[in-house]
Amino acid sequence: MRGLSALRVAAVAAGIALMASGCGATGGTKAGPATTGGNSGPVTGLRIMVPNTPGGGYDTTARAAAKVLEDEKLATNPEVFNLAGAGGTVGLARVVNEKGNGDLTMLMGLGVVGASYTNKSESKLTETTPLARLIEEPGAIMVSKDSPYKTIDDLMAAWKKDPSKVSVGGGSSPGGPDHLLPMQLAGAVGIDATKVNFVSYDGGGDLLPAILGNKLGFAASGAGEFLQQIKSGDIRVLATSGEKRLEGVDAPTLKESNIDLVFTNWRGIVAPPGISDADRDTLIATLEKMHASASWKEALKTHGWSDAFITGDEFKSFLTEQDKRVADVLTKLGLT
Amino acid sequence: MDILSSLMDGFATALTPMNLLYALIGVILGTAVGVLPGIGPAMTVALLLPVATVLEPTSAFIMFAGIYYGGMYGGSTTSILLNTPGESSSVITAIEGNRMAKAGRAAQALATAAIGSFVAGTIGTTLLVVFTPIVVDFAVSLGSPSYFAIMILALLAVTAVLGESRLRGFASLGLGLAIGLVGIDSVTGQRRLTFGQPLLADGLDIVVIAVAIFAVGEALWVAAHLRRTPLQIIPVGRPWMGKQDWKRSWKPWLRGTAYGFPFGALPAGGAEIPTFLSYVTEKRLSKHPEEFGKGAIEGVAGPEAANNAAAAGTLTPMLALGLPTNATAAVMLAAFVQFGIQPGPLLFENEGPLVWALIASLFIGNTLLLLVNLPLAPLWAKLLRLPRPYLYAGILFFATLGAYSVNLQAFDLVILLVLGALGFMMRRFGLPVLPLILGVILGPRVEGQLRKTLQLSAGDVSGLWSEPIAIVVYIIVALVLVWPLLFKAWRRARPTRVAAAGPVTGGPVGDRSTADRSAAESPSVDSPTATRHRQADVSDGQENADAPKVTHVNHGQEKQ
Amino acid sequence: MTSLASRLKGRSELGVAALLGAAGALVLLDAARLVTPYSQSDPVGPKTVPIIVGALLLVCSVWLAVNVLRGGHGEAEGGEDIDLTHPADWKTILPLAGAFIANILLIDWAGWVISGTVLFWGSVWALGSRHYVRDGLISLALALLTFYGFYLGLGIPLPAGLLEGIL
Repeated sequence: MRGLSALRVAAVAAGIALMASGCGATGGTKAGPATTGGNSGPVTGLRIMVPNTPGGGYDTTARAAAKVLEDEKLATNPEVFNLAGAGGTVGLARVVNEKGNGDLTMLMGLGVVGASYTNKSESKLTETTPLARLIEEPGAIMVSKDSPYKTIDDLMAAWKKDPSKVSVGGGSSPGGPDHLLPMQLAGAVGIDATKVNFVSYDGGGDLLPAILGNKLGFAASGAGEFLQQIKSGDIRVLATSGEKRLEGVDAPTLKESNIDLVFTNWRGIVAPPGISDADRDTLIATLEKMHASASWKEALKTHGWSDAFITGDEFKSFLTEQDKRVADVLTKLGLT
Repeated sequence: MDILSSLMDGFATALTPMNLLYALIGVILGTAVGVLPGIGPAMTVALLLPVATVLEPTSAFIMFAGIYYGGMYGGSTTSILLNTPGESSSVITAIEGNRMAKAGRAAQALATAAIGSFVAGTIGTTLLVVFTPIVVDFAVSLGSPSYFAIMILALLAVTAVLGESRLRGFASLGLGLAIGLVGIDSVTGQRRLTFGQPLLADGLDIVVIAVAIFAVGEALWVAAHLRRTPLQIIPVGRPWMGKQDWKRSWKPWLRGTAYGFPFGALPAGGAEIPTFLSYVTEKRLSKHPEEFGKGAIEGVAGPEAANNAAAAGTLTPMLALGLPTNATAAVMLAAFVQFGIQPGPLLFENEGPLVWALIASLFIGNTLLLLVNLPLAPLWAKLLRLPRPYLYAGILFFATLGAYSVNLQAFDLVILLVLGALGFMMRRFGLPVLPLILGVILGPRVEGQLRKTLQLSAGDVSGLWSEPIAIVVYIIVALVLVWPLLFKAWRRARPTRVAAAGPVTGGPVGDRSTADRSAAESPSVDSPTATRHRQADVSDGQENADAPKVTHVNHGQEKQ
Repeated sequence: MTSLASRLKGRSELGVAALLGAAGALVLLDAARLVTPYSQSDPVGPKTVPIIVGALLLVCSVWLAVNVLRGGHGEAEGGEDIDLTHPADWKTILPLAGAFIANILLIDWAGWVISGTVLFWGSVWALGSRHYVRDGLISLALALLTFYGFYLGLGIPLPAGLLEGIL
């Protein structure tokens, strides 16, 4: 027992030392948004919530943004925290509940829109205060190098002939971006969405072996995670779904292939409902400055994200339109 | 040899003082988070990413690798000592490991876990170096049909651990399957058993369940029956592994590695299933099957080797193809991107020195972990000498902390309490815990792979046997099912040969060879010969290990 | 006397059978409200496995009830710290559960430091330790250490609750 009580004393002593160094740790987190419009000084007390687990897509974007904000002295000690669950709707519920809180923001994207329907979330994204859309990534229609389909037309022809025989793989569960893309694609080429044979995988990592092993008809997902495999030729991209061609990928867009669909998986930041106009303007201004900075452009390049910056009301109408589009698709499938 | 020279260069880089320091930090940090349930290497690496970007990529990855392997070691330590598995791959270790600890053999359990992990980690990393292209090609060729077949095999193995009362074993399995159902159905997106709670939509995490049932349940159970008579200090016993322990451990180490590495390398494999398969195998092959459930060292050696081999296996497709097979690998891939390095098939070509330094540091990290953990094992074992109130309060405290810190939601603690109450009830009424855990792990996977297989074959049942591996596994399944019947028929034809047949199947015969020992301890158990087809609900002759509950035999003292 | 005691014991285990039956019924009821899939390539559907599991639970429930009534019983788990000769000591369990529940209720509102202290202190008290002051200090130290350790080491901010700004 002697050894143990000595150990305990040592632990307590260490603890006190630790506390002394850590004192004031919580002091800075509730200082409130400082400035009322204008250019005076960085924002303090900013918190960015990520409705997903650390290491995921939203998390990476949020932390990249926080880093740029801090480096460019646009915000002091911005805090990024995670509140994962139910595809992002747990975070959404939290944001909607914190009415008027001008410190809190949430990083979200298309996935959260879908999840708010499939998870029957009571809080809707349209309730939040949209701040800005940051990035987007077009989807890609991919097959293995051993696949019989060499062009998007081959694939569409086979798919139209018998949708059940051409399985579609995606890295999200029903309602997620990788699910929405093939559903909208089906609509665009005249296939009944309910006949689409969608196989959901647990993220890009789980989808990749299925593509490489030629187990699927085709895969619909963001090309970003598979760039190396595309470069090495193990994965063939038949088409991408953006407005313009994807840099570094030799494939036509859907529009170029006479398929009327533009689909991107976007990410943006929103704030709780009911925040003051001053707070909103400050936050938007801060984001605009972040977007203009060189370190943000650097971050975009490192991660392969496409710049898709729109703010305020423009973002609001974009959100509303996306919300409606997703609702339509999911209602047809009976998932709402 | 090109590989060898690259590896040597890698060692040269990894052995610099700076990088050794990072390896040490990673290893210690990894052990610390492995100890805590809830937080694991994946989350730690993710949280450290921003911090690590200021470091040299090589150093950062050396640290991450240390965290990864360290997490596996840490998880075993609390599994054994406190019945609180820190990682899903340590859940099986808790079963025998904690029993050994309670019997005063904590140091041996920790030692066999540490050494087994080292052996498996080293072999696994070597396999990683040598066999990468072959392994990866094989891994990619497996699809849902093969995975489904493997899951069926695993389900079959569950029947081997139903415990002495098959009825209660099945009941436990049923509960586990039901818990595994909670969440969103991956195919149709509908919520099952979530009762309108959005927080249940992602299902219940296996570590939370295991911690709740093992640790919290045990704390409540101990509270109910705490020995009020003067506390017997658990004898710490000898601090090192005896000759018997070594003899009994080395084969499980190797077998565990054989299980762990392939499963780690397979995309849908995971580290939990090989630990379980290893456990069942060791139980079948053991010369002391009656010890299982009371602290059999093979039950720690095998699964521990399996989980570390799986960790090494996971890195193989990650480095070779950019294919993550678990959360930690996925985060490490994200780390690569942060550094501007593109993971993928060209990684070895483009960033050779970095990759080889990383692999070298795996060997180093493994060695460091052994050097750090092995001498500390007797010290850790002393932790068990804490007065009971502090020990169990501590278990509850850390279980709560770990579970809460994953999502910072109090709801997770409610789940902890509810399942803890379930664990309490199971202990009270003799429902075995292992089938429940297996139900939670296997249920969703079996269902998922089956439906995926059928989806990919457009509803055609023949899709189930459309892959060569699937066929091979089904044949194994058939053999396993048919073998006991064949064996019985063979025995009936040649009754004199009975005693000679060693513990090959581990079934009825295994008991016979240890009949004298078990008969001495368990006067209430029928003689093994007559029990094969008795009324299944009272006692199954194969698993009489659980019979003498109160008269607890201390095997630690048997071993001189 | 013994038959009464054993019948009472048997009755408590019937509770387990009841639980299994309830679980089985719950699973089946929940499955009943599921909608069959929108794609024909999934012949198994979302209902099949729940139905199998629910059926398994119900079968076990009935089988267990029969088994218990016929005199079979499960062995309660023993161990070094376990003394099975006395019935369950509710005077210990309830405070322990209480400490746990208190933590759940307090953690978000009063903060981890307070709720963790309550948890540990309450637990050691429930389990029999009567060194109040010493235990209180240890509890507080543990809670504070872990609070800072998590924040500084891992960047996980445990809730500061009432002590916001002071810590």
